[in-house]
Amino acid sequence: MTKTAEPAITIRSMNKFYGSFHALKNIDLTVQHGERIVICGPSGSGKSTLIRCINHLEAHQSGNITVLGKALDNNILHIDEIRRDVGMVFQHFNLFPHMTVLENCVLAPMLVRKWPRAKAEELAMQYLEKVKIPEQAEKFPGQLSGGQQQRVAIARSLSMQPKVLLFDEPTSALDPEMISEVLDVMVALAKDGMTMLCVTHEMGFARQVADRVIFMDQGEIIEQNPPEEFFGNPQNERTQKFLSQILGH
Amino acid sequence: MLSAWNNIKLRNAMLQIIYVGGFVAVIATLIVMGRTNLQAQGIISGFDFLWKSTGWDVNFSLIDFSARDPYWLVLVVGILNTLFLGTIGLVLATVIGVIIGMARTTENDLARLLGAIYVEVFRNIPLIVQVFFWYAIVTRFPGPRQAINLADSFFLSSRGLYGPGLNITGLSAFLGIVAFLAGLGVIIWISAAQRFRRMDPARKTRLRWLILLGAFIVSLVIFWIGRIPDTSLVSMPALKGLNFRGGIRISTELSAMAISIAIYGGAYIAEIVRGGFNSVGRGQIEAAKSVGLTKWQVFSRVRFPLALRAMLPILTNQYVWLIKATTMGIAIGFADFFMVVSTAINQSGQTLELLGILMGGFLVINFSLAAILNRINRAIALKGNQLRS
Repeated sequence: MTKTAEPAITIRSMNKFYGSFHALKNIDLTVQHGERIVICGPSGSGKSTLIRCINHLEAHQSGNITVLGKALDNNILHIDEIRRDVGMVFQHFNLFPHMTVLENCVLAPMLVRKWPRAKAEELAMQYLEKVKIPEQAEKFPGQLSGGQQQRVAIARSLSMQPKVLLFDEPTSALDPEMISEVLDVMVALAKDGMTMLCVTHEMGFARQVADRVIFMDQGEIIEQNPPEEFFGNPQNERTQKFLSQILGH
Repeated sequence: MLSAWNNIKLRNAMLQIIYVGGFVAVIATLIVMGRTNLQAQGIISGFDFLWKSTGWDVNFSLIDFSARDPYWLVLVVGILNTLFLGTIGLVLATVIGVIIGMARTTENDLARLLGAIYVEVFRNIPLIVQVFFWYAIVTRFPGPRQAINLADSFFLSSRGLYGPGLNITGLSAFLGIVAFLAGLGVIIWISAAQRFRRMDPARKTRLRWLILLGAFIVSLVIFWIGRIPDTSLVSMPALKGLNFRGGIRISTELSAMAISIAIYGGAYIAEIVRGGFNSVGRGQIEAAKSVGLTKWQVFSRVRFPLALRAMLPILTNQYVWLIKATTMGIAIGFADFFMVVSTAINQSGQTLELLGILMGGFLVINFSLAAILNRINRAIALKGNQLRS
């Protein structure tokens, strides 16, 4: 994917409240096309909320969010347009349990992109091969392991040919031996130049693929740096404390 | 002997023999005692009475029936009336239940409040009280001469609701409607069943339209076959003297029963619908949104199909219950299966036989209904052990 002058995502002085709780405080973030960003931080720090604001699963109360040249504002059409081009992978996979793996993957391409079934299925099979699971295409999600389900969820997002992929703790609900099969797929995606924002605690993954690591605490972006700098020379006291906890054992 | 009693297989076999033997002995004793007692009262048990004429009439019948007709025919009249009322009541209750249940799952506070009030009011008043209430309402309309006139085609009066109808026999009207509903059922089955999921969507759509057209034509043919000779096909109600002639009449008893079952059943079905929608995981909805589906697509492709799977087993229970609730018709004189059997018992004295027929009849109706719904339930059940990933 070519890096163009206009950033993929621009967030300016964005605030998010749950009732009186100030969940995100004055967030500023710019993501270029092809950039891989890892967001980490203690639980409740607002990492998931931040990426859920990007495809408007959560509404922000003030500030501006522009995704792929479209502003998230009162224009409802923009929400649909942005979601079409921004894929999301969830902690709990959230596959559609009443559809086969292949149907999960072709549903949106057929309904939203209006592709004929043959084209949608051909593309979906390509992506199922990419996540190394084509032989499960006719199975139902309930018949797969957690790692397999998460890889299907990635293929489902890819089948829409998104320009940006959001990962919301994609390995947190997995057994240890299944984490690597999902991370391998994510590393391969990063190598292909996909624009990615990953909320994750997999620091190995962050070191390997991230262009930037962002540390959040209590609804604020505390620190953001390339991985060598972030892990080798953390500036903020809170970052240091977090890293010592997560890497300490 | 002691060793045989201590042998677990032999002991179980002996216990089985004693148990079954005792059961058969009790039943046989009851039958013999019953026959002896009935004979002592001069009543001959058996089913010969079914071929005798009744000597009494019923107030509402879908097929031609008069006092000269035999008992078996009056039982058929009763079963048809129960099925007719059950079909109307279940369909209306489902429509009301879906509307109220959906209202209770929306974000709109007013809709949620109105839905909650509806459910609490109609769920907590006994059905028989509601039956009397609606019967009182529908019989308080003005008489035929002052009937409320809606566009010269519908007349609402204390004798019932009159509307334009077809000059066809009641039986063919019933069969025609059943044929059409069966067609709709097949269409829903094709949409939901695993067997058709690989079918090309364009062909599937064509097939569905074809079945709809077919069902429509079949019911028209049934109507045509059942038309009453020497009359125009469509008949309009018109005031002749003291009452209306022509058209169809929905009797006050039938409408009171249909309204009661629809409203009472609707309150229960609304809760089932609400529970079904609430059971759908938020994650699946968010996933559907995140791949770019529109609101309607999220609803029709993910939310509703998943909610339906949660609802269907409980709905089956509720439908079976509502069919049994049609027996309340006896309270206001609607000639349903139960009332017809009660009258027949009074007139013929064949209590045991008629009660057997009554119980067997409801068993067959409800078992068939449950079997069909369970079949649908199995066809659309989620595969795999993790229902909600």
